[in-house]
Amino acid sequence: MSRRFYPSRALSIAHKEVRHITRDPFTLAWAFGLPVIMVLFFGYVIDFNVREVRLVAADRDATRASRELLTILRASGYFRLLPPVPGQEIQTGMVQEKTKGVLIIEPGFGKDLGAGRPAQVQVLLDGADNSTSGLILSYLGGIQQAAAARLSGAAARAPLTFSTRYLFNPELNSHWFVIPGLAVVVMGILSIILTALTVAREWETGSMELLLSTPVRPLEIILGKLAPYLGLVLITVGLIYLVARLQFGVPFRGSHLLYLLGVILFLTLCLAQGLLISVAARQQTLAVQLSFIAGLLPALLMSGFIFPIESMPAFFQYLTFVLPPRWFVAMSRGLFLKGAGVFELALPLGMLTMLNLLIVAGALRAFKTDLEPRRAKGRTEGK
Amino acid sequence: MNSAAPAVTVEHLTVRFGAFTAVDDISFSVRPGEIFGFLGANGAGKTTTIRVLCGLLVPTSGEACLAGTSCTDQPQAIKNKVGYMSQRFTLYGDLSVAENLAFTASLRKLPDALLRQRTRALFEFVNFTFPVTTRVSDLPGGVKQQLALAAALLHDPEIVFLDEPTAGVAPAVRARFWELIRKLARSGKTIFVTTHYLDEAENCHRIALMRDGQIIALDTPAQLKSKTFPETLLEIDPPLGASRTVIEQLRPDPKVARIQPYGRRYHVLVLDPRAWKTTARQIPKTFRMRPIQPSLEDVFIRLVEQPAAAAENRPVGRRAARSRGRRS
Repeated sequence: MSRRFYPSRALSIAHKEVRHITRDPFTLAWAFGLPVIMVLFFGYVIDFNVREVRLVAADRDATRASRELLTILRASGYFRLLPPVPGQEIQTGMVQEKTKGVLIIEPGFGKDLGAGRPAQVQVLLDGADNSTSGLILSYLGGIQQAAAARLSGAAARAPLTFSTRYLFNPELNSHWFVIPGLAVVVMGILSIILTALTVAREWETGSMELLLSTPVRPLEIILGKLAPYLGLVLITVGLIYLVARLQFGVPFRGSHLLYLLGVILFLTLCLAQGLLISVAARQQTLAVQLSFIAGLLPALLMSGFIFPIESMPAFFQYLTFVLPPRWFVAMSRGLFLKGAGVFELALPLGMLTMLNLLIVAGALRAFKTDLEPRRAKGRTEGK
Repeated sequence: MNSAAPAVTVEHLTVRFGAFTAVDDISFSVRPGEIFGFLGANGAGKTTTIRVLCGLLVPTSGEACLAGTSCTDQPQAIKNKVGYMSQRFTLYGDLSVAENLAFTASLRKLPDALLRQRTRALFEFVNFTFPVTTRVSDLPGGVKQQLALAAALLHDPEIVFLDEPTAGVAPAVRARFWELIRKLARSGKTIFVTTHYLDEAENCHRIALMRDGQIIALDTPAQLKSKTFPETLLEIDPPLGASRTVIEQLRPDPKVARIQPYGRRYHVLVLDPRAWKTTARQIPKTFRMRPIQPSLEDVFIRLVEQPAAAAENRPVGRRAARSRGRRS
């Protein structure tokens, strides 16, 4: 009777799994192709940063002061100013998607400024694209401060001004915001899909039968099969980290040790999710589909990676509480951008640990009972 | 080891999956060194029984023991006693021959020296001549089966379970594989084999016929034939180019004889020899007629197909032909 756990058996399963990985172009493509594509996609194609926004500038004042204002806007690098097309409605460019907004300097701008009265500039923005418009507005707000100081000297003193400064990401650089979250999405989907696939493949080819007809213990199978994938995804995380730091210049202000702890908590959680899926799906195609639903959707849509949790309907806000990506996205941003410590990250860290213990325990149980010889019921075996 | 003690004992074994009864109260025993054949259509309960005996499935009720060890109470001990070669090819195609065997050996905790020694002996036994660095996916189908057998024998099990070991393998390779099985049995191993090929089953010492989870017959091939066919069985061989309608139009009373087409020939089961003599006069002299030994296929059709067909009110011939097609 050998009910003992033999690390050597788990090790030979791990060794075999490493051979599968290194000999299967498909797994390698998943592990390294997916992150590369996603980082390039989000890093270059989808750019939330606004540069060279095309604005129609109608200078109806044509004074030194108004020209000065346009020069300041141009110099900021955020805007490209175009003259109005003669004989065309001033908004036409926006309707045709050629421009993002209109800036109108009414006559009397220079005079008002000179007299120390509040001078008005009218800004028309494309409300159909509110993410860009929001950014334009915030850029304009920033420039307004600088312009006011330059145009009227110290004399100008508006009664009340907001002084807004973006902390942690002063330029609102979207790479800084996106990439730490993207790492979470990639980790989540990769580890879930690879685990579910490796177990489903073993069932599909029938080699699980071979494993089970030997004295190997379920726990040895689990550890042996999952350890190589944990390693593989850790390498991927390292790659994304390097790309984030070197290519996109994302800062890392927190503790690397804390990040590693978070990564391991999150990854083991995802591996356990993959294991749970493999209990339900013994075919590779089904496993991939379930993994995408379980892995990609929560990480992409409900983690706060792109869409802010605060603007979700109340039900979904509560739902995100049980979604691990939500907590790890919060942790990642805190560590990369804010330099948060254990104290500030107590809530995400605590939730992640709790979810980890719950899901890992559940997956181990489910997988073990799935493998152990059991009283025949429910599922028809073999045929 | 007491050679008189049965290698496998099964008593009142029942396995239910929900409302479906896969194995229905079966009992039998297998002697050491015996080649025990398990025959039956798909879903008759063969694989389920094997899974119980290998400690992979806990039965709903009943007892199963291998050489005195209970399959249900000591599945771990069972796994060291049995070698299991499953229906599907289960070695890893992307690993080499040596890597596959080393992996199986490590799960069974065989020392390296023993692995090398056994590998050498088994390669000689199954006549495996490919380099051990060959990827398993690159091996021909029959060689893969030989390798799977070697892997199942690596830990020198007392009892070997072969679940349709020759499915989808060329006839010549099948014959060679059965040569191996006979050699294994001579070396003292107990072989428990399921197959779809009835001609192969003649190689078994004893055969259990399963239908709908029950064993409906269990005996040596010779006994099965003589018990199932106490009557005379005739073969009618029409000359080439002869009209077949002569036979088709005979239509004897079912109490006298039953005629079944058998390829281009006919098998006649004579129930009433005297009455048959009168009927047989209508058969032209050019049609050769001779008494034959029934094949296991005849036994199988009579025991398994006919009662089922009668129960379903279907013509016997069509059903038999259909299942023959499925088997090939």
